[in-house]
Amino acid sequence: MKFELDVVLIEERCRSSALAARLASAVAPEVEVRYVPDGRESARPLAGERDPFAAAKRRLVVMERRAPFLMGCPAGSAEFACCGYLVLVTASNCPMDCSYCFLQEYVADNPGLQVYANYAAAFDELERLGRSAPGRSFRVGTGELADSLAFDTLTAISRDLVEYFAQRENLLLELKTKTDEVGNLLTMDPCGRTLVSWTLSPTRVYESSEHRTAPPAARIEAARGVLEAGYKVGFHLDPLIAYPEAEHDYGELIENLFDVIPPQRISFVSMGGLRMTPALRAVARRRFPGDPMLLAGEEVLGRDGRMRSFTPLRMRLFASIRARIERRAPKMPLYLCMESASAYERVFGATPATPAALGARLVGR
Amino acid sequence: MNVGTVESRIRAWAEKRRLPEAHLVRWLALAQEDRAALLETAERLRLRTGQFVTALELLEEIALRDGESIAGVLARSEIRRILEGTGSAPGRAHSLVEQLRVARFPRLKRTIERLRTEIVGLALPPGIRVVLPVDLGSDELRIEIRANGGAELERLICAIDRHAAGLRRIAEMLGGADEV
Repeated sequence: MKFELDVVLIEERCRSSALAARLASAVAPEVEVRYVPDGRESARPLAGERDPFAAAKRRLVVMERRAPFLMGCPAGSAEFACCGYLVLVTASNCPMDCSYCFLQEYVADNPGLQVYANYAAAFDELERLGRSAPGRSFRVGTGELADSLAFDTLTAISRDLVEYFAQRENLLLELKTKTDEVGNLLTMDPCGRTLVSWTLSPTRVYESSEHRTAPPAARIEAARGVLEAGYKVGFHLDPLIAYPEAEHDYGELIENLFDVIPPQRISFVSMGGLRMTPALRAVARRRFPGDPMLLAGEEVLGRDGRMRSFTPLRMRLFASIRARIERRAPKMPLYLCMESASAYERVFGATPATPAALGARLVGR
Repeated sequence: MNVGTVESRIRAWAEKRRLPEAHLVRWLALAQEDRAALLETAERLRLRTGQFVTALELLEEIALRDGESIAGVLARSEIRRILEGTGSAPGRAHSLVEQLRVARFPRLKRTIERLRTEIVGLALPPGIRVVLPVDLGSDELRIEIRANGGAELERLICAIDRHAAGLRRIAEMLGGADEV
């Protein structure tokens, strides 16, 4: 585990949980472990900190989740061509610190690293989901409000999840990460029901914006490892940043990826342009005033209130990356994240499938 | 210019222009050379408060993106031409902000220019207006027709039909069909 913590705070009601026991025994001896009456209070930003969001990334709170674990993808909306992704919230916030991360705005009011000790209750929700639509397959991921694997050497939650999904025919687990923390996964047999996905960026973006993440080559190498262990793999080129050398750099990244992972063994590649609300952009600029990538794509305000690279620039980058991928992998399932149906048509020359149909295609490969 | 003099002139300018404290703090936090160059610009062009705030933000972003100092950006020939020009101060202040926008969004400005050239090249009759999305923030092309009477409306619709290929090309450019 390479992420440093100052303290682990365990909610009293979770004191006897398996997760608390695992964590308390696995953290480094210099990390203080304390018990608190209400984890929600401990997850709030600390007053007096110069950068409360950064400080919260060093405070791990083991607590009970009071809300449902399963939710629709927060990026989903009727105005976008979506992929039907469902999110399983087993944790919140992330010890890495990408300058563009939406969590800087999304969890600003409760930024502490939260891990939910009662995550096994999510299995009941998943059972209900599986029964709700017989014959339909669902892709369910834990990597939206947190990195799926960042703390896995401490929490080992992936083991329970992989084991659960291995027995469910119509559910596919997606573990999304920017780490190379795949040790627990390599000891399990996913029975084809777990996909591990990596967000990939060119080295230039990684060095400028993706603090404390694994280098792109290490992510690709980790993907090779889990692929050999029987997992499916996918990749998210998201956020794509349309800096002047982007077409070249993303093309090179794709070549590097396909040199290590045979494209026919990749379940999908998604693309999404950098998008930020003005409020998120303000926070990101304040926290990372020296990151030129936050400005490099000539982002302008769009109709949905988010700033993206102006449309022709963004569409051209999508199309160029699509062409680059299809040159080596003509049948690669590709999709766009948080883009309109018209953007989808521009890039792929066809109307987008429904979320359910696209989701089924991504689950099937 | 001596450091103390620059700071007192900045404070005097800020007070006179009622510059909000947060922007004054940002200004004073700049490197000596940058804050002096900005002061020279503000004084010479008699920038209004809003223009100053916009210029400061654009300058900070251009400098960061291009790995250059603010003083360096203000020393670029296209900016110096405005600073040392002979027009009215308000006119040059407006030109400065426009030029900084071009520098901040060079590919956007080039793309808009190309689209405008295409639109002008169509030589559409008066009564038809082709409207590009603000800052090309979407791919929607709007075509407005203003007609008085059925005959004129029909004539304008026919004109649009005659120019369908050109209009289609503009719509495709909005979707990234051309190099940006």
